[in-house]
Amino acid sequence: MRLAERGIPFAVAIVAIAVGYGLSVGLDGYFVYLGMSAVVAGISLLGLGVVTGSAGMISLCQLTFGAVGAWTVSALNEAQAPGGFLTWLVLGGLAAGVVGVLVGLPALRLRGINLAVVTLGLAAAADLALVQLQFPGVSGGISVERPDAFSDDRAYFQLAVVVLVLCCLAVHFLRRGRWGSAWQAVAFSERGTAAAGTSVRTSKLTAFAVSATLGGISGGLLTGQVGLAFPASFTAIQSLALYVLAIMSGAHLIDMAVFGAVLWVGVPELLKRWGIPQDWGFVVFGVLGVQALAGGGNLGTTVRQVWYRRARKEPAKLDLAAGTSAVEPVSPGPPVLTVRGLSVNFGHVAALSSVDISVPEHGVLGVIGPNGAGKSTLVDAISGFLPNAEGQVELGGSPLTGSPSNRARAGLRRTFQQDRVPPGLTVGAYLKFLARRRLTADEIGEALDFFGCPAARTPLSQVDVGARRLVEVVGHLLARPRVLLLDEPAAGLPHEEHVAFGERLRQVPARFGVSVLLIEHDLDLVRSVCDTITVLDFGRVLASGPQAEVLADPAVLKAYMGETEML
Amino acid sequence: MLQGALAGLAAGGLYAVLAVCLTLMSRLVRVVNFAQSATGMFGCYVAVFLSVHAGLPTWLATVVGIVLGGLLSALLGWIVSTWLAEADTGTRSAVTVAVLLLLISLSFILFGNKPQPFHPILDGPAVTVGGVVISQVTVVTVALAVLVAVASRIVLSRTPAGVRLRALSERPTTAELLGIPAKRLSVAVWAVTGVVSTLVISIVAPSQSNDATSLAMLVVPAAAAALLGGFRRLDLAVAGGLGLGLIQGAAAQVDGLSVVRYFLPFAVIVALLLWSQRKEVWDAAR
Repeated sequence: MRLAERGIPFAVAIVAIAVGYGLSVGLDGYFVYLGMSAVVAGISLLGLGVVTGSAGMISLCQLTFGAVGAWTVSALNEAQAPGGFLTWLVLGGLAAGVVGVLVGLPALRLRGINLAVVTLGLAAAADLALVQLQFPGVSGGISVERPDAFSDDRAYFQLAVVVLVLCCLAVHFLRRGRWGSAWQAVAFSERGTAAAGTSVRTSKLTAFAVSATLGGISGGLLTGQVGLAFPASFTAIQSLALYVLAIMSGAHLIDMAVFGAVLWVGVPELLKRWGIPQDWGFVVFGVLGVQALAGGGNLGTTVRQVWYRRARKEPAKLDLAAGTSAVEPVSPGPPVLTVRGLSVNFGHVAALSSVDISVPEHGVLGVIGPNGAGKSTLVDAISGFLPNAEGQVELGGSPLTGSPSNRARAGLRRTFQQDRVPPGLTVGAYLKFLARRRLTADEIGEALDFFGCPAARTPLSQVDVGARRLVEVVGHLLARPRVLLLDEPAAGLPHEEHVAFGERLRQVPARFGVSVLLIEHDLDLVRSVCDTITVLDFGRVLASGPQAEVLADPAVLKAYMGETEML
Repeated sequence: MLQGALAGLAAGGLYAVLAVCLTLMSRLVRVVNFAQSATGMFGCYVAVFLSVHAGLPTWLATVVGIVLGGLLSALLGWIVSTWLAEADTGTRSAVTVAVLLLLISLSFILFGNKPQPFHPILDGPAVTVGGVVISQVTVVTVALAVLVAVASRIVLSRTPAGVRLRALSERPTTAELLGIPAKRLSVAVWAVTGVVSTLVISIVAPSQSNDATSLAMLVVPAAAAALLGGFRRLDLAVAGGLGLGLIQGAAAQVDGLSVVRYFLPFAVIVALLLWSQRKEVWDAAR
C-alpha cells in the first residue's frame, strides 16, 4: 500500500517525461518553441501555487524572481563561470530564493496582504530598474549557451520538461510533508499553527522561498531558451497576470499549474491567429479571476468535481459506542504546571486578576465558571497568546515563557474552542503535523480508534465539526506534551456522547502520560473526569480543591447555578 | 536639491490623496484597493479620448472622466460587497488585483500603450519663493490632500453617515442588525474614493509620466504612504505621501541615485513593515 503510494508520483513523472519526449519529436518547430514557453510558465505557476494556493497569501512579483534567476544565469555566463548551464540554473533558483526570504521577512510577520503590498512594490521597482540596467551580456551580445547535449530546440524542450517534472515532484513531496501541512495550517489559522508548535513566520517564509526559488529556475530556463534575456519578459503586469491565472486555475494542484501554463501560452497564440489584440488575453484572465474569487472556486476544484461526480458523502462522524479496555489508572503526583499571580487586562477591564492554578502530574484539573469568567483567557495566557499577561507560569519546575510555538515545543499544548483544523489535510497528515514526531501507522490507528475518530485517510473536509475537534485533541495527545489544555473539547458533540468521551479522557494520563487541564460547561462530564476543580468567577479564583468539596461550596453554587438551583 | 524636492511635492500630493483613499478603503470597507490608481487612470484616459478625439471641451471631458472613475469604482465595490461580503481582507483585495490587471489591459486595447496627449488642466507657476518655483499643480494637489483628509475626518466623526460607516467597519454584522444599509454605504465609499482618485490623477497626469502602467502603479508609493499611518491614520498618510514625494524629487537631482530612486517606495514599505511589526499580532481576536 505505502509502496504504491510512494511509487505513483514517480510513475506519473516517467510518463510525463515520455510524453514530453513524444511532443518534442512529433511537434513542428514552432510549437516546440511555444512548448518551451509553456514549461517555463508552468514552473513559475507551480511556485505561485505554493504561496497562493497552499499558504493563502498574495504574491505579485513572481516574474521579478524570474528576472533574478535570469540575471544570475546571464551574469555567470558572461563571467564564464565554471559548472555550465545546469549548475547556473540551480544557482539562479537559489539566488531568487534568497531574495524571496529577504523580501518576505518584513512582510510575513503579519498578514498576507502586507506581502501583496511589498511584492507589488518590488515588481514595480524592478520593472523600471531592469529597463535602465539591462541584463548582463546584453550590451556585448553574449548570449547564454545551452548545454552541449541540449543545444537544439527539440532537445532543449526535453530538458525543460525534465526540469519541470523534477520541480513537480519536489513540490508534491514538499506538500505531503511537514512543510506542506504547515502551509495548509497557516492558510487556515495562524493561531492553530502556533499552537501546534510550528512558527507561523517560518511556515510562511518557507512557502514564499520555495515559490521564489521555482520562479528563479523558470527565469533561468527562459534565458537558455531565448539566449539574451530582456526586461520585457519580466514586467510587473505579467506578474499580476500570472498571479490571477494561478488563482483562477487553482495552481496549487500540480496538473492545474501545468494546464494554467498551457493557457498562458495558448490564449495569446489563439488571439494572434484570430487577429485579436493580445491584451484581450489578460482581460479574460482578469474577468475569470474576479469570477473565481467571487465564486470561491477555481478551475481545478471545478474540474475535479465534474471528474469524480462524487455524490456528496455524509460527513464522517464519531463512533464512541464501543467500550474501551480499561488501563491501570495512575494516581496524581506533584504539580507539573503551576500558574502564580496571573493577571490579564484588556484596557480597563480585568479579565483575570492574580489567578493561581496548579495541574497535578497525571491528573485532570477541571476549570469551571460562568460565561465571561475568563476561562479561555486563562488558556490564552498560559499558552502564550497574550504577551501582556502578568504572572509566572512554570512547567515541570522551569519557567515557561516566549511565543506560543516555543511553549508548545516545551511540552504545553492547547486546543481551541473554535474550529482551527485545516480542512485541506487528511486526518493522518494533520495528526503528523500536530505530533511533530515520527508516528507509526499503528500508533495513529490506535489513538483514533480509542477516541472513535474517522480513519486516518479521511480528508478533514469530510469530517463533521465535533469529530474534527476531537481529531485535534488526538493530535496534541500524540505529541506527548507534559500538559494539554482542553478548551471545551466536548462542545461539538451530542450530549449522550459526552459521558463516553469523559470515560476516555479519564484514561488519558495513564494511556498517553499527559496531564490535562479541562475547561468544560457540562458538569456531568467534569464530575466524571476531574479529581480537582478550580472555579473562576469574574477573573478571580472562587474556589479550588478536590471535586466534592468545591462542588458543595455555597459560593460556587451561587456563582455557577444561581441562588435557587441545586446541583 | 530644494528645487528638486519642491518639484517632487506635486507627486507627493498625488501620493497623499491616493494614500488617504487607500486608508479610507482599508478602514471602512476592509479592502486594500490595488486598483485605486488604475481606476483613476482609466477615467482620465477616457477624458483624454473625449477631448482629443470627440472634441469635447477639456473641462467637460474631465468631468465625464471623473464620473466614470466613480462609477467604475462603485461597480467594483458592488461586486465585492455582494459576493464577498463575508470574505477576509485578503480575498477581497485579491479581487482588486485582478481588476488592476483588467484595467491596464483594457486601456492598452482601447488607447494603446503610449503616454496620452493630455491637455493640462492647470499649468504654470503659482508662486516663486527665493528663486524656487512652485507650480500650480503642486499647490492644488497638496491642498487637495489636506482637504480630503480633513473632510473625511469631519464626515467620519461629526455626521450620522460617518458614525454609521464607522459602526459598519468595526462590527459589520452588528451594524447590519441595527438596520444600517451596509451595501449602499460600502458602495458609496468606493464611489467617493474613485471620484477623488480620478480627480487628482486628472490634475497631475499631464505633468507626470502618464503611460497606463506608470499611472496604475502609483498605488505602490501610495501604499507606502498609507503604511506610515498603518492604513488607519489619515494625517500620517498625508504626511507620508508628501514626505515620499519630497525625497523622490530630491533624489532625482542626484545622478548616482537614478536606479536607487525607483526602489524608494519599496524601501519605505519594507522599513515601515519592519517597524510596525515589532509586536506579534494574531489573525483572529481569539
